[in-house]
Amino acid sequence: MSGSYLIKRLLWGVLLMAGVVVLNFLLIRLAPGDAALVIAGEMGGASEEMLASIRKEYGLDRPLMVQLGLYLADMARLDFGQSFYFNQPVTGLIAQRVGATILLVIVAQLLAIFIGVVLGVLAARNPGGPMSAFVSVFATIGYAVPVFWTGIMLIILFASVLPIFPVEGMQSVKLREAGIIVKSLDILHHLVLPAFTLAVIYLAQYARLSRASMLEVLGSDYIRTARAKGASEASVLFKHALRNAALPILTVAGLQFGNLISGALLVETVFNWPGMGRLAFDSILRRDHPTILGVLFFSAAMVVVANLLTDLAYRFADPRLRGRT
Amino acid sequence: MSRILEIDDLAVDFDTRFGRVRALDGVSVGLEAGETLGLVGESGCGKSITALAVMGLVPTPPGRIGAGSIRFCGEELIKAPKSRLRNLRGAEIAMIFQEPMSSLNPVFTVEDQIVEAIMLHRPIEYDAARREAVALLERVGIPEAAQRARDYPHQLSGGMRQRVMIAMAVSCRPRVLIADEPTTALDVTVQAQIFDLLGEIQHEFGVAIILITHDMGVISEMADRVAVMYAGRIIEEAGADDVLDHPQHPYTRGLIACIPTLEDDASLREIPGVVPPLHALGRGCAFADRCAYMDARCRRERPALAPTGHHANACLAVAEGRL
Repeated sequence: MSGSYLIKRLLWGVLLMAGVVVLNFLLIRLAPGDAALVIAGEMGGASEEMLASIRKEYGLDRPLMVQLGLYLADMARLDFGQSFYFNQPVTGLIAQRVGATILLVIVAQLLAIFIGVVLGVLAARNPGGPMSAFVSVFATIGYAVPVFWTGIMLIILFASVLPIFPVEGMQSVKLREAGIIVKSLDILHHLVLPAFTLAVIYLAQYARLSRASMLEVLGSDYIRTARAKGASEASVLFKHALRNAALPILTVAGLQFGNLISGALLVETVFNWPGMGRLAFDSILRRDHPTILGVLFFSAAMVVVANLLTDLAYRFADPRLRGRT
Repeated sequence: MSRILEIDDLAVDFDTRFGRVRALDGVSVGLEAGETLGLVGESGCGKSITALAVMGLVPTPPGRIGAGSIRFCGEELIKAPKSRLRNLRGAEIAMIFQEPMSSLNPVFTVEDQIVEAIMLHRPIEYDAARREAVALLERVGIPEAAQRARDYPHQLSGGMRQRVMIAMAVSCRPRVLIADEPTTALDVTVQAQIFDLLGEIQHEFGVAIILITHDMGVISEMADRVAVMYAGRIIEEAGADDVLDHPQHPYTRGLIACIPTLEDDASLREIPGVVPPLHALGRGCAFADRCAYMDARCRRERPALAPTGHHANACLAVAEGRL
C-alpha cells in the first residue's frame, strides 16, 4: 500500500471535514428558532435588554460571517465552544458520550456483517433451497421494519416475557464499583439489545447482498478451478468465493456507516443508551447550537474515518486495486 | 498400454426450460496411459460436459448423470463418495480450462494457488510446497519464477496464466490431464508455445491428456487418437492420422474440409446448417438435416457407433456403402 495514497486520502478527509463544519454552521443558523429566547426561557424571563445581553454574551449579535469566522478559528484550536444549555464545554459533553456511541455502532456493524454474510453464504450454497427463501423473506422484513419499532418490540419481549437482557442504560448501578472484567461483561450484557436492534436492518441488507454477490462469484471460472484441484466445499465457499464476494459487501458497509450512526441516535433514545444520540436530541430541542455542531462534527468525522478504513480494506482485499492512487 | 480411464455409455441430463435434455447420450471412450485423446466437435456438442463428468463437476442441479459409468484405473467414479472424488481431483485427474484470464483466483498470488493444490493432496511442509511451486513455475517457462510467484494473476499475461494453470494442474503428478480448449483465448504464437509445453510435460510426467478442441489443426499436431462428437454423441473414433486422412462420417469430412489451406482459394468453407438444439432432436441421426448423404432411414434410426476395424463411426450411409 502506497504511503502517498494514504496521505492524499487523509488530506481529502481534512478538507471534507472543513466543508462539513462550514455547511453545518450555516444550516443551523438558517434554521428557524432563536437561541437567545431558549436560553432566556431556561433562565426564567425574557426582557428585550436581557435578550440583547444574552446575544452579546454569546456573540449572536454579530454578522453571520463574523460568527462563522470566529467559530472556525475556535475549531482550528479544537475548541467546540460552550454549550448554551449545559453551560459546559461541548468537548467535555461529547467526550463523555462518544465512546458509548462508537461502541454501539461498531458492535452493531460487526454483528450485522458477520450474521448477514454467514446467512448470505449459506443461502447462496443452494439458491433454490429453504435457507435462501428464509434470507429473502427475512431481508424484506428486516429492511422494512423501522428501527424504533424493533427496539420497542424487543423491550416488550425482554422486559416482561423473557427478562434475560437489560432493556435500558449501559451499566447496572449495583456494579458501578465492580472490577474491570465484571464491568465490561455488564456493559456487553446491556449492549445486546441495542446492538441487535441497530444491526437488524443492515444485517438483512448484508445477507441479501452477500447472497447475490456469492451467487455471482460461485459461477466464475476460478471457483471451478478450485473445485478441480480438489478443494473442500468449505474452502471453496469461505476462502475462494467469499474473499471475492466480500468486495461489494465492503463497499456497502462503508457507505452504510453514516446511516448506521443516524440509526444509532434513534436506538440510543429508545434504549436510553448514554451516547451522543440523546445529547443530539436534547440539544436540537433546545437550539443549543454549539452542542449540535459538535455532535454533527463527530458524527461526520466517524463517517469520514469509516470510509477511509473501507477504502484501505478494499485495497487490502483486492490486489488489483493496490498501487493505484 | 493400459486403460486408465474408461467411459462407458455415459449419459448426462440437464433440466432446462424446455424440459429435461440429454446433453450426453451413450458416450463411450477410453484413455490409455500416456496417450493424448483429442475430443473434437462444435460448441455445445458435449466435449466439456464429458470432461466435467470425469471430474465429477457436472453442475447439479441443473445437470445430473443419467446413466453409464466412468472408471479410473478400474475404480467406478459415478457413485463414488464426494470425498473420494475430491481426493482424486487435482491429484490423479487434473484439468486446465479455456479461459486463463478468469480461471485463476484474482485475490491470491499464483504461488498461493499452486501451494494450495500441492498441500491439498500431499503431506508436505508449507516451505517445501512453496519451493516446489517456484520450481514448477520455472519448469513451465515462467521467467524469474521466484519473483513472479508472488504476483497476482492480473499481473501476468494470458499465456503466462495458462502456464501457471498447467503448473498447478501437474503439481501433484496426475495420471490424467484434461485440457479444455487451453489455447482458444490466446494469441496464435502463444498457442504454439502452450502446445509445445503440454507435449513436453506429457513426456516428462507421463500424463495422459484429453485434449478438447474444435481445431483439427491442433488435433493433427497433438493427438494420438480422436473422438469426434456431435450433439452429445461420439460419431467417429480412430487414430488421429486415420481420422485426418480418411474421415468416414460426413460430419468429420465436413470438419476436415473446413480446415483452410494455403493452396485453397480464398473462400472459407463451412458445413451448411446449424447444430440442432438438444431439446429438438428427433429419433433419427442428429446430423441428418445437414448431411448430403441423408436418406429416409437416417430420419428414422439413430446409428450406433459401429466399429469398422480400428475406425469406429456412427453413420448409416457409411454402413450401407452409400458414401
